[in-house]
Amino acid sequence: MPKYVIDAHRLIGPVPFDDLPADPRGEMDRLGIDRALVTHTLSLYSDPGAGNEALLALGDPRLVPVPVVVPGETGEDLPGVRMVRLCPERHRFDLTGPATLRCLSALGLPAAIDLDETSPAQLRHLAERLPGQRVLVLNPGYRRLRALGELMDAAPNVWAEIGTVNTQGGVEWLAARFGAERLVFGTGAPVADDCGPRFLLDHLDLPAEDVERIASGSLEALL
Amino acid sequence: MILDAHGHVGPWPDFLIPHPAAEHLVAAMDRIGVTAMGISHLLAVGPDAVRGNAMALEIAGRFPGRFGVWQVYNPHHRTPLAREGAPGLWGVKLHPDVHQCRLDDPLYEPVWRTGLPVLAHGQTDSPWSDPAQFVTVAARHPHVPLLMGHTGLWPYGFGRAARLVADHPNVFLETCGSKMTGRWIARLAALAGAERVLFGSDACFLDLRTGYGRVALAPLADADRALIQGGNLARLLGLPLPDLPGSSGSPEKGNPA
Repeated sequence: MPKYVIDAHRLIGPVPFDDLPADPRGEMDRLGIDRALVTHTLSLYSDPGAGNEALLALGDPRLVPVPVVVPGETGEDLPGVRMVRLCPERHRFDLTGPATLRCLSALGLPAAIDLDETSPAQLRHLAERLPGQRVLVLNPGYRRLRALGELMDAAPNVWAEIGTVNTQGGVEWLAARFGAERLVFGTGAPVADDCGPRFLLDHLDLPAEDVERIASGSLEALL
Repeated sequence: MILDAHGHVGPWPDFLIPHPAAEHLVAAMDRIGVTAMGISHLLAVGPDAVRGNAMALEIAGRFPGRFGVWQVYNPHHRTPLAREGAPGLWGVKLHPDVHQCRLDDPLYEPVWRTGLPVLAHGQTDSPWSDPAQFVTVAARHPHVPLLMGHTGLWPYGFGRAARLVADHPNVFLETCGSKMTGRWIARLAALAGAERVLFGSDACFLDLRTGYGRVALAPLADADRALIQGGNLARLLGLPLPDLPGSSGSPEKGNPA
């Protein structure tokens, strides 16, 4: 079992469509998750700026803030931030348009992007335009495993969150092709499930050092 | 004892399954302590139920006690069905969405007449398998154990599914699916009673470890977890119940894996 676990994809705050824990720390304690990269739900379901402000005021070292950036609107002065999140579908901007490319270049930070907010082709295009840009693909799912593999093959600065890589042996399939150093433990909780991915992490059919990478090492390298 | 109510073997055209073979499933089951899994072959869910069912039964014979078979009934092809007592048989699998035939369609009458447990794909708001259709057929056939696969699949429908079947004790809520959470499994146990909730993984379609992890780490009391992860299905299938508080360990009906 991994010694240190970081969840690269968690939410803090209420969601409008369900009664879910607004504070992730209780479930993190229960499931043995030491730290989490968190985005505020206000940034997703209301005002990105207000969500970022609430997020950056948390002041808990267990919760690493991942503010949501809307190019040209949310500002590029994010002291202490180690990764941002982009929601091109939700916030209706062009991931590979000039405003986004300019914004990402100015920020110089890794960007987390939910695959449901874009497409492998868009991400490949982004990697071609900004080859140094590090991207963490959130929620890649299992139905697009072939396309995800093609993307990771073409774009060496793309990492994948494993929480929804949910077909039999899918995580090991990715690890065999791209190495555990390109895979990151994350859940998307509380909207998505954290119990199954946390159990999977403990039972991966991989060498212990690769499990440690997925649990925290790959993310630390990415950041 | 951990029993997986909902499994598959074989490839599926929609996406890559890295490990679709029974051998890999057995290794994964051994790794996390799953005693047995009920399977249908994905070929049978797809175009050839006769051949797929034969392949699933062959696998069950090759790994005694590790797999039970949900034989697929294709209502358009009027698939011949084995009867209760056939070696390795757990029941009948229906997939109204793939077969584009509503669960309450009369074409399924031969299935209900077998009296075997039925595992049917359930999908909220689907024209083929909405949970309301489970209520219809459960009322028509109150003595047939009916497993609602995926509890309706979409989280927005889980609560409604539990409420709809509350007065139909022959319906069980099976919990596999990519949108299920440990939190929702605990909620379903609170809403419907843990005795009505069954663990399923959908492996190899989905990953067995992720599916079982939702039950293993769900915020449940140990007694409820024991029911959900195997006790309920063992009782339903008439398997021994060694792990359950108050259990005599005697099968209630004969239909061994």
